[in-house]
Amino acid sequence: MNPALSEKSAARFRPDATWPTLIHAAAHEVFQMMVGTEVQPGDFPPEPQKGEVSAMVGLAGTLCAVFRIRCPQDVAASIATKMLGGQGDSSQVCDAMGEICNMVAGNFKGKISGLSDGCMLSVPTVVMGGDFNVYSTGQERLEVTLTYDGKPVWLTLEISN
Amino acid sequence: MRPIRVLIVDDSAVMRKIVERSLRQAGIEILEVLEAGNGVEGLAALQQTGVDLILSDINMPAMDGLEFLQGLRCLDNSKNTPVVMITTEGSESRVVEALSAGARGYIRKPFTPDQVKERVTPLLEGVR
Repeated sequence: MNPALSEKSAARFRPDATWPTLIHAAAHEVFQMMVGTEVQPGDFPPEPQKGEVSAMVGLAGTLCAVFRIRCPQDVAASIATKMLGGQGDSSQVCDAMGEICNMVAGNFKGKISGLSDGCMLSVPTVVMGGDFNVYSTGQERLEVTLTYDGKPVWLTLEISN
Repeated sequence: MRPIRVLIVDDSAVMRKIVERSLRQAGIEILEVLEAGNGVEGLAALQQTGVDLILSDINMPAMDGLEFLQGLRCLDNSKNTPVVMITTEGSESRVVEALSAGARGYIRKPFTPDQVKERVTPLLEGVR
């Protein structure tokens, strides 16, 4: 285990009212810099749809959680294409979504003072399709909905501390 | 400065392309880009040929960026090659570890071409 992780894991972080704003800010920066698109707070029903792409990253240490980004497949394809300067193809959608999820999660934890050194990220996992459920031991759930070119992107942080 | 040969080490092919594009957008002339998906592949590529600059992710399967840095210092053709770490981790301890292991700088994801230019250009001043 990372020494910094073991030394600091006794002090657990708890979510507060600023965290949804920080998640949004983290996502806004990542989409602006790496995708070239401004995302805004959105208002879409959270129910899963057919043909979604979900990317997940685990956080372990002073914050135990799963961070997830999900969106329709056409949004994921658009994200991948824009990340690659218009040269992407469908084979790169999972890779691109995993990187976006990883960057948003990393950027989010960097915005919380003292969290970064005691909390590590897993490699991302990406699932395509709509006929599945994700079960988590999370006891608290924060959800932020964004609008990407008029379409939904859902960000979820399920906290297990 | 002549066009450079660069090695980009990242387990994401998408991120490798973004890093290459950012270098070009930063005005750095590139002769050749070598790509590797992890530290093992990176070291294997360097055993074939040296490069002027290495950009490497930290968190990777098989061999991470910190182990890659250690391995790099055993290669005669690469032990003095400047390495810039590119990482999602905001962890200061990981960055300090990388700098202690010989990295010459780091770039946090997400990044802009200007940030890449700011970190990389000073390291290429000796390339003739």
